[in-house]
Amino acid sequence: MYKASNHPIDELLAAYSAGSLPLSQALCISAHMEHCSSCVQKLQQLNRIGSELMQRLEPSPPSEGLKQDLLDRLESLTEDRGPAHPTTINASIPRCLRQFVNNGYQDLRWKRVSPDIHSVELCRDSNGARVELLKIRPGGSASTHTHLGDEYTVILEGSFSDEYGVYHKGDFLVKDSSDRHTPVATQDRECICLAVTEGPVQLTGFFGRLLNPLIRRSYA
Amino acid sequence: MSKVAVTRDKSAFAELFDHYAPLIRSYSLAREPGADLVADELVQEVMTRVWLKADKFDSRLANLNTWIFTLARNCRVDYLRRNSRYVTEIDPTEIFDNIEDEGPSPFERVHQSRAEERIRAGLKALPREQSEILTAVYLEGKTHQQASDELRLPLGTVKSRVRLALKKLEVLVAR
Repeated sequence: MYKASNHPIDELLAAYSAGSLPLSQALCISAHMEHCSSCVQKLQQLNRIGSELMQRLEPSPPSEGLKQDLLDRLESLTEDRGPAHPTTINASIPRCLRQFVNNGYQDLRWKRVSPDIHSVELCRDSNGARVELLKIRPGGSASTHTHLGDEYTVILEGSFSDEYGVYHKGDFLVKDSSDRHTPVATQDRECICLAVTEGPVQLTGFFGRLLNPLIRRSYA
Repeated sequence: MSKVAVTRDKSAFAELFDHYAPLIRSYSLAREPGADLVADELVQEVMTRVWLKADKFDSRLANLNTWIFTLARNCRVDYLRRNSRYVTEIDPTEIFDNIEDEGPSPFERVHQSRAEERIRAGLKALPREQSEILTAVYLEGKTHQQASDELRLPLGTVKSRVRLALKKLEVLVAR
């Protein structure tokens, strides 16, 4: 297990534990936790808080007959879903992402975003957030940008740096609209990230600004 | 619980039902007050999983209350996803199950009962405004933004209250 050094903050982990986080963000946290035993430990304590709060609820008796009905059906109950994605052989893909990435990152339909960057959209969350993978070529850089909403990133392969630090496999980052940054992949290998963006990215260079209306349109 | 897992003892399961079903029901009602049908459905779904997954539960590794809480949470998240206006393809079982099936680390096991005590006592001692926020997030399933709207507090205040509460409950691990 790689030891990640950038973690979700406690409030975010608590919301994950409570199940009150949008699923796209929960996906990022889950991907991070595969590389982070300390966050898993913390999650177990946070789950305990939920459990204690649940124990303190005023009990509400279920409808008449519900229990008997279930007891009568117990024998015929079977697990209705088998292993949903059994074909995966690539152990380096976080389990929570195997619902989207079957074989390997290379088999995905990558689209060229810039000379340095390819992306593939995995899905949208019900709040409209876009869930995608980004691939930055070795030494490549993303344009300097800010975000209209928050951006959640987990590094899956390789590493990159920006004005604030260097990030490695498993690291979890949140950028909000006040953070302007220019990620650059390290020279030795390409960098693959899971990225969840709640609003379109805003490019800040001169040519970048010309492109913004086009990017925004793709969020409509 | 081991009777349910090993000998498939129905009367032992009935006892679990009597204890947990009313709590699961209240948990559902905390998020959707008055939605009795939804609450009954959640009870059925969670107790079904308890029966089916009983063999995966290991009392040496985990606490039964906590296990049931995570099952109830996962079922509720899945129910909400299937019934939201814009259904997302993200499968929550793939997100939550994988992480928690592994059980606590050796470190956790040693400290488990102490941590339970600490959290129980800590919750009782929390200032009202902090336990109110934890209730909103954990039981009512509110996002920080929703809690902020509802309680008419700035978003930053909601987050800092959660943070303070966690600090008081000593949810800390060594990095």
